[in-house]
Amino acid sequence: MNILSIALKEIKQDLRDRRTLVFMLGFPIVLMLILGMALSNAFSSDVKIGDLKVLMKDSTGGGELSQAFNAFTKEIGKTGVRFESLQPGMDGRTEVENNRYVDYVELTPQGISLYGSSRDTIASNIVQGMLASFTDKYNAAVAVAKIEPAQTEAVFASGGTDYIKEMSITPNRTPSSVDYYALAMTVMVGMWAAMSAGGLIQSEISRGTGNRLIIAPVSKGEIFTGKILGGMMTNVLCVAAMILFSKYVFKAYWGSHMGIVAIVLLSEVIMAMGLGLACGYMIKGRAGRNVVSLIVQLMSFFGGAYFPIGNDSGSGLMGFLINLSPIRWANHGLTQVIYGNDVSAAWPVVCINIGFAVLFLGASIIVMRRQEGL
Amino acid sequence: MNVLDIRGLTKKFGDFIAVDNMSLTIREGEIFGFLGSNGAGKSTTINMVSSLLRPTGGEIRILEKDIMKHSRFAKMNLGVVPQDLAIYEDMTAYENVSFFAGLYGLRGTELKERTEEALTFVGLGDKAKSFPKNFSGGMKRRLNIACAIAHKPKLIIMDEPTVGIDPQSRNYILTSVRKLNESGCTIIYTSHYMEEVEEICSRIAIVDHGKIIAEGTKEQLKSTVTDVKDIRIELKSAQGGESEGLKTIPGVRNVLQDEQVIRIQSDAAVDNLNRILKQLMDNGKEIRAVEEQEPNLETVFLTLTGRNLRD
Repeated sequence: MNILSIALKEIKQDLRDRRTLVFMLGFPIVLMLILGMALSNAFSSDVKIGDLKVLMKDSTGGGELSQAFNAFTKEIGKTGVRFESLQPGMDGRTEVENNRYVDYVELTPQGISLYGSSRDTIASNIVQGMLASFTDKYNAAVAVAKIEPAQTEAVFASGGTDYIKEMSITPNRTPSSVDYYALAMTVMVGMWAAMSAGGLIQSEISRGTGNRLIIAPVSKGEIFTGKILGGMMTNVLCVAAMILFSKYVFKAYWGSHMGIVAIVLLSEVIMAMGLGLACGYMIKGRAGRNVVSLIVQLMSFFGGAYFPIGNDSGSGLMGFLINLSPIRWANHGLTQVIYGNDVSAAWPVVCINIGFAVLFLGASIIVMRRQEGL
Repeated sequence: MNVLDIRGLTKKFGDFIAVDNMSLTIREGEIFGFLGSNGAGKSTTINMVSSLLRPTGGEIRILEKDIMKHSRFAKMNLGVVPQDLAIYEDMTAYENVSFFAGLYGLRGTELKERTEEALTFVGLGDKAKSFPKNFSGGMKRRLNIACAIAHKPKLIIMDEPTVGIDPQSRNYILTSVRKLNESGCTIIYTSHYMEEVEEICSRIAIVDHGKIIAEGTKEQLKSTVTDVKDIRIELKSAQGGESEGLKTIPGVRNVLQDEQVIRIQSDAAVDNLNRILKQLMDNGKEIRAVEEQEPNLETVFLTLTGRNLRD
């Protein structure tokens, strides 16, 4: 009963601390909005390339290839790729090198040659792909014409006018910028439990109420448990608020395994509280809280809370630091769960978090029992 | 019945001995004064009785039970008003008292009644829903007391409860202490204000350097210094050193100077006032006031330690 009483007191005090609540929720929500909007291109799998201009020279003197190619250019023109004829005095390669055209195509009796831009390789590759598709169809039509001339038109008609088909090897759904930051910020808020835990015991000591708690018929263990429980509840509420806000206001995607997501985040909060408490006991006073704040900020930075860290986290010191961040582990695991439907990716994260929580809380309990007072 | 028994109590911090083999008995119904200057060992003793510090040696019994072996029993019967405020500024007065009273096993209607009773007792009944951050210093001290008494302990320790508050609040607290005692509580009252201890305490112990150097009722203590007279001389101005040479006057035992005030303890049987004044005037000192005081606890302290109580 005393544990519950102390926990409820803790929750009441935390919820009345409006300034801290606004910081814990307001700041990440604002960041979610700003970074989500500012970095949306970094997550987009669509690349807008605008209209493309291709310079062409037809040296075939008319004929089947020329006719087929003209039909091709008309069709392609609907997708924003415009073919313009080489004018007298122009040098096709120079025009491409000067970036006035994406590619230079020459139609000769021997075939089609292409001179592409090395500056705008995406656009050049698109045109090249289209030309390759046209060439395949034309060669197929020529081959059919030799055997069944009546079927030649059918070759061009088949497959429609799609010369480029969208192909993607990315599975299922990929996160948009808002999705990414919804997850990253929520994980970061969970990690912030360490900062509140760092001052959990120290706040009672500085108020003088720590002595009153020790004088009461309540064991140190009950005080410790009650305060951790209360602090944990408040932080879990903040994490839940982040999820709900991002899901229903920003329409962030959280997948179809919310229970697993909740377990991972809960384990993270427990681990963070353990870290904060351990630092608070090892380093007394204000310095303890400052150290915790620094550790959490570094973990946030290296864990991808502020900018995306890809699967390839690099080598050397940077890679080591990135892989050391619990925020990184949680982000990575949860991304697999939410977007890859891979529930098993959650368990290593949960186990690591709980393992560290046991370590940190154990160290805190040992120090607490040895010292006089709280 | 003895409410508190201390036997051979010792507390060391490294090589420093804060409490040195102290023994003490407090009987039921007493208001027991613990008098001593800052650093004498009063708070360390109180902290050991309250279980905030572990004794280096000795034994403490509350209601005849060893507090180390019967910790919960001891704590249930003890209320402590700490020297520093120990309240939550972000919880209402009612919530503060209710929370701490709840830790002593009070629940439901009983908890509610005791909380309201405690707040009314300290004069904060109408401020139950207010937050201490809006209270005056005196009101905060009263809330500090309410948090310690709601569970109706048999023994209440008040550690310098009137430090830094206005005279009105101070008087209120002293009155509250008497009322608590009348309702059956035994009270240990520590202070370095001699006047308060003289006013309310039935028995007093004087502590210095971790030891009890005198113990008894105020009459018993004062009777140890009936052969001493206390002379207080106030000079118009002082540069320091004015009291030098006064100790050589026959009968003078102790001389203490605090800026313009010189306190002299002298044998009551020796009539040396004129000689003392003459020496001061011969040294060019102008005297504003002279007073020969009845021996009080401060006289006792000065006689025993050679220092002022407030040093």
